[in-house]
Amino acid sequence: MTSPTDLSIFLLTLRVAAIATLAILPLGIGAAWILARREGPWRTLIETLLSLPLVLPPTAVGLLLLEALRRSGPLGRVLDRAGVEILFTWKAVVLATAVMSFPLLVRPARTAFEEIDPRLLAMGRSLGSRPWSVFRRVALPLSWRGLLAGTLLAFSRALGEFGATIMIAGNIPGRTQTMALAIFQRTHIGQDDAALRLVGITAIVAFTIVGASEIITRRRARKTAA
Amino acid sequence: MIELDVSLSLSRFPLRVQANLPADTVAVLGPSGSGKTSLLETIAGLRPKAVGRVVIRDATVMDTAKGLRPPPERRRIGYVPQDSCLFPHLDVERNVRFGMTRGAATRLFDEAVRILEIEPLLPQYPATLSGGERQRVALARALATEPRLLLLDEPLAGVDVALRGRILPYLLRIRESLAIPFLYVTHNAGEARAVAESALVLRRGAVVHAGSPEESIAAMSREDPEARFDNVFSGLLSAGEPGAAGLFVAHGQRFAVPAEPVLTPGAALYAVAPDDVLVSTQPLTGVSARNVLRGRVRSVEDSDGTAWTRISAGGFDWTARLTRAAAEELGLTKGADVWIAIKTHAFHRLR
Repeated sequence: MTSPTDLSIFLLTLRVAAIATLAILPLGIGAAWILARREGPWRTLIETLLSLPLVLPPTAVGLLLLEALRRSGPLGRVLDRAGVEILFTWKAVVLATAVMSFPLLVRPARTAFEEIDPRLLAMGRSLGSRPWSVFRRVALPLSWRGLLAGTLLAFSRALGEFGATIMIAGNIPGRTQTMALAIFQRTHIGQDDAALRLVGITAIVAFTIVGASEIITRRRARKTAA
Repeated sequence: MIELDVSLSLSRFPLRVQANLPADTVAVLGPSGSGKTSLLETIAGLRPKAVGRVVIRDATVMDTAKGLRPPPERRRIGYVPQDSCLFPHLDVERNVRFGMTRGAATRLFDEAVRILEIEPLLPQYPATLSGGERQRVALARALATEPRLLLLDEPLAGVDVALRGRILPYLLRIRESLAIPFLYVTHNAGEARAVAESALVLRRGAVVHAGSPEESIAAMSREDPEARFDNVFSGLLSAGEPGAAGLFVAHGQRFAVPAEPVLTPGAALYAVAPDDVLVSTQPLTGVSARNVLRGRVRSVEDSDGTAWTRISAGGFDWTARLTRAAAEELGLTKGADVWIAIKTHAFHRLR
Protein backbone atom coordinates (compact mmCIF):
# COMPACT_ATOMS: atom_id res chain seq x y z
CA MET A 1 0.00 0.00 0.00
CA THR A 2 1.44 3.36 -0.97
CA SER A 3 1.34 5.72 1.92
CA PRO A 4 -0.71 8.82 1.25
CA THR A 5 1.05 12.17 0.87
CA ASP A 6 0.97 14.86 3.54
CA LEU A 7 -1.28 16.93 1.29
CA SER A 8 -3.85 14.20 0.78
CA ILE A 9 -4.00 13.54 4.52
CA PHE A 10 -4.38 17.25 5.15
CA LEU A 11 -7.16 17.57 2.57
CA LEU A 12 -9.02 14.55 3.94
CA THR A 13 -8.81 16.02 7.45
CA LEU A 14 -9.96 19.41 6.24
CA ARG A 15 -12.88 17.92 4.32
CA VAL A 16 -14.05 15.74 7.18
CA ALA A 17 -13.78 18.58 9.70
CA ALA A 18 -15.64 20.97 7.40
CA ILE A 19 -18.49 18.52 6.79
CA ALA A 20 -18.74 17.69 10.51
CA THR A 21 -18.82 21.39 11.46
CA LEU A 22 -21.43 22.25 8.84
CA ALA A 23 -23.52 19.28 9.94
CA ILE A 24 -23.63 20.33 13.60
CA LEU A 25 -24.13 24.04 12.85
CA PRO A 26 -27.95 24.15 12.61
CA LEU A 27 -28.44 21.64 15.41
CA GLY A 28 -25.87 23.30 17.68
CA ILE A 29 -27.24 26.80 17.13
CA GLY A 30 -30.76 25.54 17.71
CA ALA A 31 -29.72 23.82 20.94
CA ALA A 32 -27.81 26.92 22.07
CA TRP A 33 -30.86 29.10 21.37
CA ILE A 34 -33.19 26.88 23.35
CA LEU A 35 -30.74 26.60 26.24
CA ALA A 36 -30.26 30.36 26.32
CA ARG A 37 -33.92 31.31 26.11
CA ARG A 38 -35.94 28.64 27.84
CA GLU A 39 -36.05 27.83 31.50
CA GLY A 40 -36.93 24.50 33.03
CA PRO A 41 -35.73 21.61 35.14
CA TRP A 42 -34.75 19.64 32.05
CA ARG A 43 -32.39 22.38 31.02
CA THR A 44 -29.64 21.25 33.38
CA LEU A 45 -30.06 17.66 32.25
CA ILE A 46 -29.67 18.58 28.59
CA GLU A 47 -26.73 20.83 29.35
CA THR A 48 -24.99 18.04 31.23
CA LEU A 49 -25.67 15.51 28.47
CA LEU A 50 -24.35 17.92 25.85
CA SER A 51 -21.20 18.52 27.84
CA LEU A 52 -20.42 14.81 28.29
CA PRO A 53 -18.16 14.56 25.22
CA LEU A 54 -16.01 17.28 26.79
CA VAL A 55 -15.32 15.33 29.97
CA LEU A 56 -15.56 11.65 29.00
CA PRO A 57 -12.46 10.03 27.52
CA PRO A 58 -12.89 10.32 23.74
CA THR A 59 -12.33 6.58 23.46
CA ALA A 60 -15.31 6.03 25.77
CA VAL A 61 -17.50 8.15 23.51
CA GLY A 62 -16.11 6.23 20.57
CA LEU A 63 -16.97 2.90 22.19
CA LEU A 64 -20.52 4.03 22.91
CA LEU A 65 -20.88 5.07 19.25
CA LEU A 66 -19.40 1.77 18.16
CA GLU A 67 -21.91 -0.18 20.26
CA ALA A 68 -24.80 1.84 18.84
CA LEU A 69 -23.65 1.49 15.25
CA ARG A 70 -22.56 -2.15 15.08
CA ARG A 71 -24.87 -4.34 13.05
CA SER A 72 -26.56 -5.75 16.12
CA GLY A 73 -26.77 -2.32 17.77
CA PRO A 74 -29.92 -0.19 17.90
CA LEU A 75 -28.83 2.30 15.27
CA GLY A 76 -26.74 -0.13 13.25
CA ARG A 77 -29.70 -2.40 12.57
CA VAL A 78 -31.70 0.44 11.05
CA LEU A 79 -28.76 1.66 9.01
CA ASP A 80 -27.94 -1.85 7.85
CA ARG A 81 -31.48 -2.34 6.61
CA ALA A 82 -31.24 0.99 4.77
CA GLY A 83 -27.98 -0.21 3.22
CA VAL A 84 -25.94 2.55 4.81
CA GLU A 85 -22.48 1.65 5.98
CA ILE A 86 -20.84 3.97 8.42
CA LEU A 87 -18.33 2.13 10.55
CA PHE A 88 -14.73 2.33 9.30
CA THR A 89 -15.60 4.72 6.47
CA TRP A 90 -14.99 8.47 6.20
CA LYS A 91 -18.57 8.93 7.39
CA ALA A 92 -17.56 7.46 10.72
CA VAL A 93 -14.80 10.05 10.97
CA VAL A 94 -17.37 12.76 10.33
CA LEU A 95 -19.69 11.31 12.95
CA ALA A 96 -16.98 10.97 15.60
CA THR A 97 -15.64 14.49 15.06
CA ALA A 98 -19.19 15.94 14.94
CA VAL A 99 -20.12 14.41 18.29
CA MET A 100 -16.87 15.51 19.92
CA SER A 101 -17.06 19.07 18.55
CA PHE A 102 -20.73 19.66 19.34
CA PRO A 103 -20.33 21.03 22.90
CA LEU A 104 -17.57 23.37 21.77
CA LEU A 105 -20.00 24.98 19.35
CA VAL A 106 -22.94 25.08 21.73
CA ARG A 107 -21.20 26.75 24.69
CA PRO A 108 -19.99 29.97 23.03
CA ALA A 109 -23.17 30.16 20.95
CA ARG A 110 -25.29 29.91 24.08
CA THR A 111 -23.26 32.64 25.78
CA ALA A 112 -23.66 34.85 22.71
CA PHE A 113 -27.44 34.36 22.75
CA GLU A 114 -27.63 34.98 26.50
CA GLU A 115 -25.88 38.32 26.04
CA ILE A 116 -28.72 39.62 23.87
CA ASP A 117 -31.11 41.87 25.77
CA PRO A 118 -34.36 39.85 25.74
CA ARG A 119 -36.25 43.13 25.52
CA LEU A 120 -34.84 43.66 22.02
CA LEU A 121 -36.37 40.34 20.99
CA ALA A 122 -39.68 41.30 22.60
CA MET A 123 -39.48 44.62 20.74
CA GLY A 124 -39.03 42.76 17.46
CA ARG A 125 -42.17 40.73 18.15
CA SER A 126 -44.12 43.81 19.14
CA LEU A 127 -43.08 45.46 15.87
CA GLY A 128 -44.78 42.69 13.95
CA SER A 129 -42.09 40.05 13.36
CA ARG A 130 -42.73 36.36 13.94
CA PRO A 131 -40.31 34.51 16.26
CA TRP A 132 -38.26 33.06 13.40
CA SER A 133 -38.00 36.45 11.78
CA VAL A 134 -36.89 38.05 15.05
CA PHE A 135 -34.23 35.34 15.35
CA ARG A 136 -32.97 36.12 11.86
CA ARG A 137 -33.24 39.92 12.01
CA VAL A 138 -32.25 40.60 15.62
CA ALA A 139 -30.68 37.59 17.34
CA LEU A 140 -28.32 36.46 14.56
CA PRO A 141 -26.88 39.91 13.74
CA LEU A 142 -26.31 40.59 17.44
CA SER A 143 -24.61 37.27 18.16
CA TRP A 144 -22.72 36.40 15.00
CA ARG A 145 -19.32 37.00 16.58
CA GLY A 146 -20.02 34.47 19.31
CA LEU A 147 -21.45 32.03 16.79
CA LEU A 148 -18.41 32.38 14.56
CA ALA A 149 -16.05 31.93 17.50
CA GLY A 150 -17.93 28.75 18.47
CA THR A 151 -17.85 27.48 14.89
CA LEU A 152 -14.10 28.01 14.65
CA LEU A 153 -13.58 26.31 17.99
CA ALA A 154 -15.67 23.32 16.89
CA PHE A 155 -13.83 23.20 13.56
CA SER A 156 -10.41 23.18 15.18
CA ARG A 157 -11.54 20.48 17.57
CA ALA A 158 -12.78 18.49 14.59
CA LEU A 159 -9.38 18.82 12.90
CA GLY A 160 -7.62 17.20 15.82
CA GLU A 161 -10.09 14.52 16.94
CA PHE A 162 -8.37 11.23 17.69
CA GLY A 163 -9.90 8.98 20.33
CA ALA A 164 -13.47 8.61 19.13
CA THR A 165 -12.36 8.49 15.51
CA ILE A 166 -9.96 5.59 15.97
CA MET A 167 -12.68 3.62 17.78
CA ILE A 168 -15.31 3.80 15.03
CA ALA A 169 -13.34 4.66 11.90
CA GLY A 170 -10.08 2.89 12.53
CA ASN A 171 -6.85 4.24 11.11
CA ILE A 172 -7.05 3.35 7.44
CA PRO A 173 -4.58 5.36 5.31
CA GLY A 174 -6.31 7.12 2.42
CA ARG A 175 -9.76 6.40 3.82
CA THR A 176 -10.12 7.32 7.44
CA GLN A 177 -6.66 8.47 8.39
CA THR A 178 -6.71 12.11 9.48
CA MET A 179 -3.72 14.19 10.60
CA ALA A 180 -4.02 13.16 14.23
CA LEU A 181 -4.18 9.48 13.34
CA ALA A 182 -1.33 9.77 10.84
CA ILE A 183 0.94 11.43 13.41
CA PHE A 184 0.25 8.55 15.77
CA GLN A 185 0.87 5.90 13.13
CA ARG A 186 4.05 7.46 11.70
CA THR A 187 5.53 7.84 15.19
CA HIS A 188 4.51 4.28 15.96
CA ILE A 189 6.49 2.92 13.00
CA GLY A 190 9.50 5.13 13.69
CA GLN A 191 8.94 7.79 11.00
CA ASP A 192 9.34 10.65 13.45
CA ASP A 193 10.42 13.16 10.81
CA ALA A 194 7.34 12.51 8.69
CA ALA A 195 5.18 12.79 11.80
CA LEU A 196 6.83 16.10 12.73
CA ARG A 197 6.03 17.48 9.27
CA LEU A 198 2.36 16.83 9.96
CA VAL A 199 2.71 18.39 13.41
CA GLY A 200 4.07 21.51 11.70
CA ILE A 201 1.10 21.73 9.33
CA THR A 202 -1.33 21.14 12.18
CA ALA A 203 0.35 23.81 14.27
CA ILE A 204 0.06 26.40 11.51
CA VAL A 205 -3.62 25.65 10.95
CA ALA A 206 -4.39 25.67 14.69
CA PHE A 207 -2.48 28.91 15.17
CA THR A 208 -4.45 30.61 12.40
CA ILE A 209 -7.83 29.47 13.70
CA VAL A 210 -7.20 30.22 17.36
CA GLY A 211 -5.72 33.59 16.43
CA ALA A 212 -8.74 34.48 14.32
CA SER A 213 -11.06 33.40 17.09
CA GLU A 214 -9.13 35.51 19.63
CA ILE A 215 -9.37 38.59 17.43
CA ILE A 216 -13.09 38.11 16.97
CA THR A 217 -13.75 37.69 20.68
CA ARG A 218 -11.60 40.63 21.63
CA ARG A 219 -13.42 42.88 19.18
CA ARG A 220 -16.65 41.77 20.72
CA ALA A 221 -15.35 42.60 24.21
CA ARG A 222 -14.31 46.05 23.07
CA LYS A 223 -17.66 46.65 21.44
CA THR A 224 -19.49 45.65 24.62
CA ALA A 225 -17.30 47.91 26.74
CA ALA A 226 -17.94 50.92 24.49
CA MET B 1 -62.58 54.61 24.47
CA ILE B 2 -60.27 52.19 26.21
CA GLU B 3 -61.53 49.23 28.17
CA LEU B 4 -59.14 47.35 30.41
CA ASP B 5 -59.78 44.29 32.51
CA VAL B 6 -56.54 42.37 32.93
CA SER B 7 -54.83 40.31 35.60
CA LEU B 8 -51.33 38.99 35.90
CA SER B 9 -49.47 37.69 38.91
CA LEU B 10 -46.26 39.55 39.56
CA SER B 11 -43.64 38.48 42.07
CA ARG B 12 -44.67 41.00 44.74
CA PHE B 13 -48.41 41.43 44.14
CA PRO B 14 -51.06 40.59 41.59
CA LEU B 15 -51.69 43.10 38.82
CA ARG B 16 -55.41 43.60 38.50
CA VAL B 17 -56.47 46.55 36.38
CA GLN B 18 -60.09 47.20 35.65
CA ALA B 19 -61.09 50.46 34.04
CA ASN B 20 -63.47 51.80 31.45
CA LEU B 21 -61.94 54.97 30.18
CA PRO B 22 -64.07 57.28 28.10
CA ALA B 23 -60.98 58.89 26.57
CA ASP B 24 -58.49 57.84 23.91
CA THR B 25 -55.51 59.32 25.69
CA VAL B 26 -54.81 58.00 29.16
CA ALA B 27 -52.07 58.87 31.62
CA VAL B 28 -50.97 55.94 33.80
CA LEU B 29 -49.73 57.26 37.13
CA GLY B 30 -48.41 55.73 40.32
CA PRO B 31 -45.16 55.06 42.17
CA SER B 32 -42.30 53.04 40.72
CA GLY B 33 -43.00 49.34 41.02
CA SER B 34 -46.77 49.74 41.06
CA GLY B 35 -47.18 47.67 37.89
CA LYS B 36 -47.35 50.40 35.24
CA THR B 37 -44.80 48.82 32.91
CA SER B 38 -46.28 45.36 33.48
CA LEU B 39 -49.66 46.75 32.44
CA LEU B 40 -48.20 48.08 29.20
CA GLU B 41 -46.41 44.78 28.54
CA THR B 42 -49.63 42.88 29.15
CA ILE B 43 -51.47 44.99 26.60
CA ALA B 44 -48.59 44.62 24.12
CA GLY B 45 -48.79 40.83 24.49
CA LEU B 46 -45.36 40.48 26.04
CA ARG B 47 -46.72 38.80 29.18
CA PRO B 48 -48.00 35.44 27.99
CA LYS B 49 -49.44 34.56 31.39
CA ALA B 50 -51.71 37.58 31.58
CA VAL B 51 -55.44 37.03 31.29
CA GLY B 52 -58.34 39.35 30.62
CA ARG B 53 -59.76 41.69 28.07
CA VAL B 54 -58.49 44.80 26.31
CA VAL B 55 -60.70 46.80 23.97
CA ILE B 56 -59.61 49.90 22.11
CA ARG B 57 -62.22 51.88 20.17
CA ASP B 58 -64.42 48.80 19.66
CA ALA B 59 -61.47 46.68 18.50
CA THR B 60 -60.76 43.77 20.84
CA VAL B 61 -57.01 43.43 21.32
CA MET B 62 -57.29 40.42 23.59
CA ASP B 63 -60.01 38.48 25.36
CA THR B 64 -58.61 35.38 26.96
CA ALA B 65 -62.01 34.20 28.18
CA LYS B 66 -62.97 33.85 24.53
CA GLY B 67 -59.64 32.32 23.63
CA LEU B 68 -58.43 35.46 21.90
CA ARG B 69 -54.81 35.82 22.87
CA PRO B 70 -52.92 37.01 19.80
CA PRO B 71 -49.10 37.00 19.90
CA PRO B 72 -47.44 40.45 20.10
CA GLU B 73 -46.71 40.54 16.38
CA ARG B 74 -50.41 40.38 15.55
CA ARG B 75 -51.62 43.09 17.94
CA ARG B 76 -50.60 46.20 16.01
CA ILE B 77 -49.64 48.03 19.16
CA GLY B 78 -46.78 50.51 19.16
CA TYR B 79 -44.76 50.03 22.32
CA VAL B 80 -42.16 52.64 23.25
CA PRO B 81 -40.32 51.37 26.33
CA GLN B 82 -38.64 53.68 28.78
CA ASP B 83 -35.11 53.00 27.51
CA SER B 84 -36.27 53.14 23.85
CA CYS B 85 -34.85 49.67 23.05
CA LEU B 86 -33.50 50.59 19.63
CA PHE B 87 -31.76 47.82 17.70
CA PRO B 88 -28.06 48.59 18.15
CA HIS B 89 -27.04 46.82 14.94
CA LEU B 90 -29.31 48.87 12.70
CA ASP B 91 -29.05 52.52 11.72
CA VAL B 92 -31.92 54.86 12.50
CA GLU B 93 -33.57 54.42 9.11
CA ARG B 94 -33.61 50.63 9.37
CA ASN B 95 -34.79 50.87 12.97
CA VAL B 96 -37.75 52.96 11.88
CA ARG B 97 -38.47 50.65 8.95
CA PHE B 98 -38.18 47.49 11.07
CA GLY B 99 -41.87 47.09 11.73
CA MET B 100 -43.07 48.16 8.30
CA THR B 101 -44.36 45.40 6.11
CA ARG B 102 -42.66 45.10 2.79
CA GLY B 103 -44.43 47.24 0.24
CA ALA B 104 -46.10 49.35 2.92
CA ALA B 105 -46.82 52.87 1.86
CA THR B 106 -43.72 55.04 2.21
CA ARG B 107 -46.18 57.65 3.45
CA LEU B 108 -46.04 56.05 6.91
CA PHE B 109 -42.27 56.28 7.05
CA ASP B 110 -42.19 59.81 5.69
CA GLU B 111 -44.86 60.93 8.10
CA ALA B 112 -43.10 59.45 11.14
CA VAL B 113 -39.79 60.98 10.07
CA ARG B 114 -41.39 64.35 9.46
CA ILE B 115 -43.44 64.55 12.65
CA LEU B 116 -40.49 63.58 14.83
CA GLU B 117 -37.93 65.55 12.82
CA ILE B 118 -35.41 62.73 12.60
CA GLU B 119 -34.43 63.09 8.96
CA PRO B 120 -30.83 64.13 9.77
CA LEU B 121 -30.45 61.16 12.11
CA LEU B 122 -31.40 58.48 9.56
CA PRO B 123 -27.86 57.27 8.73
CA GLN B 124 -26.70 57.25 12.36
CA TYR B 125 -26.53 54.29 14.73
CA PRO B 126 -28.36 54.34 18.10
CA ALA B 127 -25.08 54.43 20.07
CA THR B 128 -24.36 57.92 18.71
CA LEU B 129 -27.76 59.38 19.62
CA SER B 130 -28.68 61.44 22.67
CA GLY B 131 -31.45 60.32 25.02
CA GLY B 132 -34.02 62.61 23.48
CA GLU B 133 -33.10 61.56 19.95
CA ARG B 134 -33.44 57.91 20.89
CA GLN B 135 -36.90 58.50 22.27
CA ARG B 136 -37.93 60.26 19.09
CA VAL B 137 -36.58 57.43 16.93
CA ALA B 138 -38.36 54.83 19.09
CA LEU B 139 -41.58 56.80 18.71
CA ALA B 140 -41.11 57.05 14.95
CA ARG B 141 -40.46 53.30 14.79
CA ALA B 142 -43.70 52.64 16.63
CA LEU B 143 -45.66 55.12 14.50
CA ALA B 144 -44.41 53.67 11.22
CA THR B 145 -46.21 50.39 11.98
CA GLU B 146 -49.54 52.27 11.88
CA PRO B 147 -50.48 51.08 15.38
CA ARG B 148 -54.02 51.14 16.70
CA LEU B 149 -52.66 52.03 20.14
CA LEU B 150 -49.43 53.55 21.43
CA LEU B 151 -47.92 52.54 24.76
CA LEU B 152 -45.51 55.18 26.00
CA ASP B 153 -43.48 54.28 29.06
CA GLU B 154 -42.13 57.47 30.62
CA PRO B 155 -41.00 58.87 27.29
CA LEU B 156 -39.65 61.96 29.03
CA ALA B 157 -37.98 60.29 32.03
CA GLY B 158 -34.28 60.92 32.36
CA VAL B 159 -34.59 63.75 29.89
CA ASP B 160 -33.70 67.26 31.06
CA VAL B 161 -36.11 70.18 31.07
CA ALA B 162 -34.94 71.61 27.76
CA LEU B 163 -35.35 68.24 26.03
CA ARG B 164 -38.72 67.68 27.63
CA GLY B 165 -39.74 70.87 25.98
CA ARG B 166 -38.46 69.51 22.67
CA ILE B 167 -40.20 66.12 22.85
CA LEU B 168 -43.54 66.97 24.44
CA PRO B 169 -44.69 68.89 21.38
CA TYR B 170 -44.09 65.81 19.23
CA LEU B 171 -46.35 63.81 21.50
CA LEU B 172 -49.03 66.45 21.23
CA ARG B 173 -48.61 66.47 17.49
CA ILE B 174 -49.15 62.71 17.40
CA ARG B 175 -52.32 63.17 19.39
CA GLU B 176 -53.58 66.02 17.29
CA SER B 177 -52.66 65.05 13.74
CA LEU B 178 -52.66 61.24 13.85
CA ALA B 179 -55.36 60.73 16.50
CA ILE B 180 -53.81 57.45 17.69
CA PRO B 181 -55.04 56.47 21.16
CA PHE B 182 -52.33 56.05 23.78
CA LEU B 183 -51.47 55.06 27.30
CA TYR B 184 -48.81 57.31 28.77
CA VAL B 185 -46.86 56.35 31.89
CA THR B 186 -45.47 59.31 33.78
CA HIS B 187 -44.60 60.68 37.21
CA ASN B 188 -45.28 64.22 36.10
CA ALA B 189 -48.77 65.60 36.66
CA GLY B 190 -48.05 68.46 34.28
CA GLU B 191 -47.24 66.05 31.48
CA ALA B 192 -50.33 64.04 32.28
CA ARG B 193 -52.45 67.17 32.08
CA ALA B 194 -50.80 68.30 28.88
CA VAL B 195 -51.13 65.05 26.93
CA ALA B 196 -53.97 62.99 28.38
CA GLU B 197 -57.71 63.38 28.74
CA SER B 198 -58.03 60.67 31.33
CA ALA B 199 -55.82 59.19 34.05
CA LEU B 200 -55.35 56.01 36.07
CA VAL B 201 -53.46 55.87 39.34
CA LEU B 202 -52.03 52.46 40.29
CA ARG B 203 -50.87 51.17 43.65
CA ARG B 204 -49.47 47.69 44.07
CA GLY B 205 -51.06 46.53 40.85
CA ALA B 206 -54.54 47.91 41.49
CA VAL B 207 -56.36 51.00 40.27
CA VAL B 208 -56.80 53.38 43.20
CA HIS B 209 -58.17 56.23 41.14
CA ALA B 210 -59.52 56.77 37.64
CA GLY B 211 -60.71 60.07 36.28
CA SER B 212 -59.52 63.22 34.63
CA PRO B 213 -55.85 64.11 35.04
CA GLU B 214 -56.97 67.10 37.15
CA GLU B 215 -58.88 64.91 39.55
CA SER B 216 -56.06 62.38 39.71
CA ILE B 217 -53.52 64.81 41.04
CA ALA B 218 -54.54 64.39 44.66
CA ALA B 219 -54.34 60.59 44.42
CA MET B 220 -51.05 60.92 42.62
CA SER B 221 -49.52 63.13 45.31
CA ARG B 222 -50.64 60.65 47.94
CA GLU B 223 -49.35 57.57 46.13
CA ASP B 224 -46.24 58.60 44.29
CA PRO B 225 -43.27 60.03 46.20
CA GLU B 226 -41.53 60.72 42.90
CA ALA B 227 -44.44 62.67 41.48
CA ARG B 228 -43.83 66.03 39.88
CA PHE B 229 -46.55 68.58 39.45
CA ASP B 230 -45.65 71.00 36.75
CA ASN B 231 -48.43 73.40 35.85
CA VAL B 232 -48.78 73.24 32.08
CA PHE B 233 -50.69 75.76 30.00
CA SER B 234 -51.33 75.96 26.31
CA GLY B 235 -52.24 79.22 24.69
CA LEU B 236 -51.21 81.86 22.23
CA LEU B 237 -47.94 83.72 22.34
CA SER B 238 -47.49 87.16 20.90
CA ALA B 239 -44.22 89.00 20.62
CA GLY B 240 -43.64 91.98 22.86
CA GLU B 241 -40.95 94.59 22.42
CA PRO B 242 -37.66 93.16 21.11
CA GLY B 243 -35.70 91.83 24.09
CA ALA B 244 -38.63 92.35 26.44
CA ALA B 245 -40.99 89.81 27.89
CA GLY B 246 -43.36 87.94 25.62
CA LEU B 247 -47.06 87.99 26.11
CA PHE B 248 -48.78 84.66 26.54
CA VAL B 249 -52.53 84.46 26.53
CA ALA B 250 -54.33 81.37 27.73
CA HIS B 251 -58.02 81.17 28.63
CA GLY B 252 -58.24 84.94 28.36
CA GLN B 253 -55.57 85.31 31.01
CA ARG B 254 -52.41 87.23 30.10
CA PHE B 255 -49.03 86.17 31.36
CA ALA B 256 -45.64 87.78 31.01
CA VAL B 257 -43.17 85.14 29.83
CA PRO B 258 -39.40 85.33 29.27
CA ALA B 259 -38.03 87.07 26.23
CA GLU B 260 -36.48 84.84 23.59
CA PRO B 261 -33.80 85.75 21.04
CA VAL B 262 -36.27 85.03 18.26
CA LEU B 263 -39.76 84.94 19.54
CA THR B 264 -42.10 83.05 17.26
CA PRO B 265 -45.68 84.06 17.88
CA GLY B 266 -48.38 81.41 17.72
CA ALA B 267 -49.52 78.41 19.69
CA ALA B 268 -47.33 77.82 22.71
CA LEU B 269 -47.08 75.57 25.73
CA TYR B 270 -45.58 76.68 29.03
CA ALA B 271 -44.80 74.91 32.28
CA VAL B 272 -44.49 76.35 35.77
CA ALA B 273 -43.01 74.23 38.55
CA PRO B 274 -45.13 74.10 41.74
CA ASP B 275 -42.14 75.40 43.69
CA ASP B 276 -42.33 78.60 41.67
CA VAL B 277 -45.88 79.47 42.64
CA LEU B 278 -45.89 81.98 45.49
CA VAL B 279 -49.04 81.98 47.64
CA SER B 280 -50.29 84.85 49.78
CA THR B 281 -53.45 85.44 51.80
CA GLN B 282 -53.05 89.21 51.39
CA PRO B 283 -53.50 91.12 48.16
CA LEU B 284 -50.12 91.15 46.47
CA THR B 285 -49.01 94.62 45.53
CA GLY B 286 -45.61 96.05 45.10
CA VAL B 287 -43.97 92.73 44.27
CA SER B 288 -41.54 92.24 41.45
CA ALA B 289 -43.36 89.23 40.02
CA ARG B 290 -45.14 90.19 36.83
CA ASN B 291 -47.92 87.66 37.07
CA VAL B 292 -50.25 88.09 40.01
CA LEU B 293 -53.62 86.39 40.11
CA ARG B 294 -56.42 86.24 42.57
CA GLY B 295 -57.75 82.79 43.34
CA ARG B 296 -59.29 80.37 45.72
CA VAL B 297 -57.89 77.26 47.42
CA ARG B 298 -59.54 74.10 46.17
CA SER B 299 -57.71 71.60 48.28
CA VAL B 300 -54.65 71.11 50.42
CA GLU B 301 -53.06 67.66 50.37
CA ASP B 302 -50.49 66.89 52.98
CA SER B 303 -47.76 64.39 52.25
CA ASP B 304 -44.50 64.08 54.16
CA GLY B 305 -44.34 67.65 55.39
CA THR B 306 -45.26 69.06 52.02
CA ALA B 307 -48.60 70.74 51.43
CA TRP B 308 -49.70 70.31 47.84
CA THR B 309 -52.07 73.19 47.43
CA ARG B 310 -54.48 73.34 44.53
CA ILE B 311 -55.66 76.81 43.71
CA SER B 312 -58.00 77.90 40.98
CA ALA B 313 -57.01 81.27 39.63
CA GLY B 314 -57.42 82.98 36.29
CA GLY B 315 -59.41 80.08 34.92
CA PHE B 316 -56.73 77.50 35.73
CA ASP B 317 -56.00 74.97 38.41
CA TRP B 318 -52.59 75.62 39.86
CA THR B 319 -50.55 73.31 42.00
CA ALA B 320 -48.32 75.05 44.49
CA ARG B 321 -45.86 73.26 46.71
CA LEU B 322 -45.59 74.70 50.19
CA THR B 323 -44.10 73.43 53.38
CA ARG B 324 -46.66 72.18 55.84
CA ALA B 325 -45.57 74.90 58.28
CA ALA B 326 -46.15 77.62 55.69
CA ALA B 327 -49.58 76.29 54.80
CA GLU B 328 -50.56 76.13 58.47
CA GLU B 329 -49.28 79.60 59.20
CA LEU B 330 -51.27 81.03 56.32
CA GLY B 331 -54.28 79.05 57.41
CA LEU B 332 -54.76 77.61 53.95
CA THR B 333 -57.90 75.55 53.82
CA LYS B 334 -60.41 74.76 51.16
CA GLY B 335 -62.25 77.89 50.02
CA ALA B 336 -59.69 80.38 51.31
CA ASP B 337 -59.12 83.46 49.17
CA VAL B 338 -55.52 83.76 48.04
CA TRP B 339 -53.28 85.61 45.66
CA ILE B 340 -50.61 83.84 43.69
CA ALA B 341 -47.56 85.32 42.06
CA ILE B 342 -45.37 83.77 39.38
CA LYS B 343 -42.18 85.36 38.20
CA THR B 344 -41.73 85.78 34.48
CA HIS B 345 -38.78 83.43 34.46
CA ALA B 346 -40.72 80.70 36.20
CA PHE B 347 -42.47 80.13 32.86
CA HIS B 348 -40.61 77.47 30.86
CA ARG B 349 -41.61 77.18 27.29
CA LEU B 350 -42.30 73.61 26.18
CA ARG B 351 -43.45 74.45 22.69
